[in-house]
Amino acid sequence: MDVYALVRDAVYRSSLLLDRQDWDGWLSLCDEKFQYAIRAWSPEINKDLTYLAHDLKGLASMIKLLPKHNTDHSPLTRHTSLYTVDVDEAAQSAKAISSVVVFQNLLDGINSHIDAGESRLFLVGKYIDTLKVDGGKASFLSREVRIENRRLDKGSHWPI
Amino acid sequence: MAAKNHAQWLSEPKLKANEWVDSRIYSDPQIYEEEIEKIFSKTWIPVCHESELPKAYDFRTMSIAREPVIVCRGPDNEVRAFLNVCPHRGMIIERRPAGSFLEGQPSGNPKRMTCMFHAWQYDMRGNCVYISREKEGFQDRLCKEDVGLRRLRCEVKFGGFVWVNLDDNPKVSLEDWAAPAFGCLRKTLDAEPLEVFHYHKAIVNANYKLWHDTNCEFYHDFMHYHNRVTGFNDAYFARKNESFEHGHIVVGTFEVNYEKYEGFDSRAALSFPHLPPNQWYMIDMFPGMNFNLRGSALRCDIVTPLGPDKVMIEFRGLGLKRDTSEERQTRINHHNSIWGPFGRNLHEDLIGVQGQGTTMQTGSEPRRILHGRHENQTIHDENGMRHYYEEWGRWMNRMPNHPEQPYAEAVSVAAE
Ligand code: FES
Ligand SMILES: [Fe+2]
Repeated sequence: MDVYALVRDAVYRSSLLLDRQDWDGWLSLCDEKFQYAIRAWSPEINKDLTYLAHDLKGLASMIKLLPKHNTDHSPLTRHTSLYTVDVDEAAQSAKAISSVVVFQNLLDGINSHIDAGESRLFLVGKYIDTLKVDGGKASFLSREVRIENRRLDKGSHWPI
Repeated sequence: MAAKNHAQWLSEPKLKANEWVDSRIYSDPQIYEEEIEKIFSKTWIPVCHESELPKAYDFRTMSIAREPVIVCRGPDNEVRAFLNVCPHRGMIIERRPAGSFLEGQPSGNPKRMTCMFHAWQYDMRGNCVYISREKEGFQDRLCKEDVGLRRLRCEVKFGGFVWVNLDDNPKVSLEDWAAPAFGCLRKTLDAEPLEVFHYHKAIVNANYKLWHDTNCEFYHDFMHYHNRVTGFNDAYFARKNESFEHGHIVVGTFEVNYEKYEGFDSRAALSFPHLPPNQWYMIDMFPGMNFNLRGSALRCDIVTPLGPDKVMIEFRGLGLKRDTSEERQTRINHHNSIWGPFGRNLHEDLIGVQGQGTTMQTGSEPRRILHGRHENQTIHDENGMRHYYEEWGRWMNRMPNHPEQPYAEAVSVAAE
């Protein structure tokens, strides 16, 4: 399989696993050096913001505690479009940029009697991924979710 | 008692008058309008932090009580506030949330606030300095000197926050209003310049006081797994909930054992000046501002009520201006792992207050909200909320538990 296809499959597979809340499945696509961050630029305070940042161990411990938290039950659906893949053959790595739009498929909402069943736009952003391509396999070295939103209302406990 | 019938459900609780409130104070449109007029138009609001406008000609815009406000830094380094309203035909002068007047705009010159509509221009002191075709249109009937901006009371204080009051003659000075409550942290916050590193906002369908109540009561630690497993020890239950004049409360500190919780490190190395390591102070200011210093990061919540059952909350995180980039990143991670939009606590707090908003929509049947816990004025006592509503009752001249009645001082206040 060519490198582009490996990278494409990894990006799309990660979206499917995250949508299914198969967190362990998602982490299994990641290298042990994996770094994850959700970032945004704030024109309000003229600063680059980090809304969440974890290495693989930090992510795994966060995920392990998710069942202990009170969380909005509304599932999220990611609509991912892979835009560019830049392969560095020598370094056996690739950088992939995807557009991502995340919808919240309301179960809770404000009043579930009225809101459940509706889908609302939750986030707009990009996945900026680096992947290691080695032995016919692509694994994530880093993912930056660069979002456009600073209004996040209830927010979320889940990685995007 | 088992589940109740309608009459039982509507009957008053067997608690003192100041130990419960009527839910109409969280939903009634008339009460909301009165709050805008009697409270938000007359009190000190920390609208932003001075680090958000670090250079001369930087500006920030916001609103208080529906009035658009602009804060800008003059060439003399003074921070001033004005209504962001053009005296000509009422256009909002600056439309962006933040920026600099050093660049010119399509309608006007650099170093000026320019109204894009007909290009009237104002300097950083709010003086009108240019009226297009002034003589031709107004002859000598109106001139620049007649049409300056509306200036607002503005002070930079308590760790560099920019406080604005729409009232030209506030009942009490900012110093007298806030200094006693800030006493526990004043030396720390004023030791050296702070800087905002985090900003996001939430709009939730709930009354602004419900958000402030959540900030004022720690009993809801039962909702937060993290607080419950790390917090519940003798030192935690001994934390005092102290009332201050003007409706403010302060939750006293204790040493947090971050090591006890998986995924957390001690925050001792990044403690704020003049504080022992891993301390946690919380200052809740009437009518809805919160300053929360937890180890390595200061959080500040500002509420902007948008309706009887709708509020915008702006969340800021602050560190020390001199932080190295590594220190700053660690502070950000400490702050956001709990308080960020993807953090552990904030999502739960917002679900909680939204859930209250759902049952207390405008027009819903009035019900009683209980604030009657007494635990020796320590952390799970609800004395903070009782203290807040005494103040609210005075400003509004309404009884919180019977809002149709004029305010009467509760007998038990002295005991609080
Ligand atoms: S409305 Fe501002 S210049 Fe006319
Ligand atoms: Fe909380």
